[in-house]
Amino acid sequence: MSKAKVPRNFRLLEELEKGEKGLGAESCSYGLDDGDDIMMSNWTGTILGPPHSAHENRIYSVRIHCSEQYPEQPPSVTFISRVNLPCVDQTTGAVDATKLPCLAQWRYEYTMEHVLVELRRSMGIPQNKKLPQPPEGSTF
Amino acid sequence: MALPKRIIKETERLVAEPVPGIEAVPHEDNLRYFDVSIHGPAQSPYEGGVFKLELFLPEDYPMTPPKIRFLTKIYHPNIDRLGRICLDVLKANWSPALQIRTILLSIQALLGAPNPDDPLANDVAQRWKEDEPGAIATAREWTQKHAAP
Repeated sequence: MSKAKVPRNFRLLEELEKGEKGLGAESCSYGLDDGDDIMMSNWTGTILGPPHSAHENRIYSVRIHCSEQYPEQPPSVTFISRVNLPCVDQTTGAVDATKLPCLAQWRYEYTMEHVLVELRRSMGIPQNKKLPQPPEGSTF
Repeated sequence: MALPKRIIKETERLVAEPVPGIEAVPHEDNLRYFDVSIHGPAQSPYEGGVFKLELFLPEDYPMTPPKIRFLTKIYHPNIDRLGRICLDVLKANWSPALQIRTILLSIQALLGAPNPDDPLANDVAQRWKEDEPGAIATAREWTQKHAAP
């Protein structure tokens, strides 16, 4: 028997509350862009670059958009801060969903936090952690 | 997924014996998820408005309370900008003996009796205490603007 399916808006409220209380991963955070947006579509996330990598001590901002179909469909994610990663389009900052496993194999129970944590992990994997990075603080 | 008997019973009764001024209709593809509308009570600043809400019965309902929020913008000290409601029976005072019906009636009653001493929307509550006629006027304006039937 499958579990009760939490509808989009209540799922996003749960994520919002978790984000507001800081209950999630310490190295990532996210919040609603507009506190009056009853549909809770647009969010900003931050990722603290992982240690022992070119990203150490950097803080990256990303824009997250949750469509009407979220969480049936994954959110779309775009870096605001410039970053050099294989899954990030170097012109627009958009994260290529086919190149980030949690987006490519999206599941209903995944959250925005999953995406942020996985982006952070991808910064620290051996093939990415020494990639040359644009100046700190530059934006797309 | 099999829906617990309790939820089926409650839904049947909501349809067969609706509460005056309240409608609750389950989504066809998710019978735990309801579209709700509540008419603003007479003699309240919400009179004449029809407010849309959404309600969800979590997996462990009725051991945990329903989740519910306003979708229509409303100026009320116990309802925040995202439509979340501060109401004791939705939190600490929930009991499995309560039902969807009783919760919706409590929310309707909350519209008739705002409680600025237990606020969720602090700015609204403060105004309610300092300038009640002004706050009521704003609540009326918002009702006309956002909750016109």
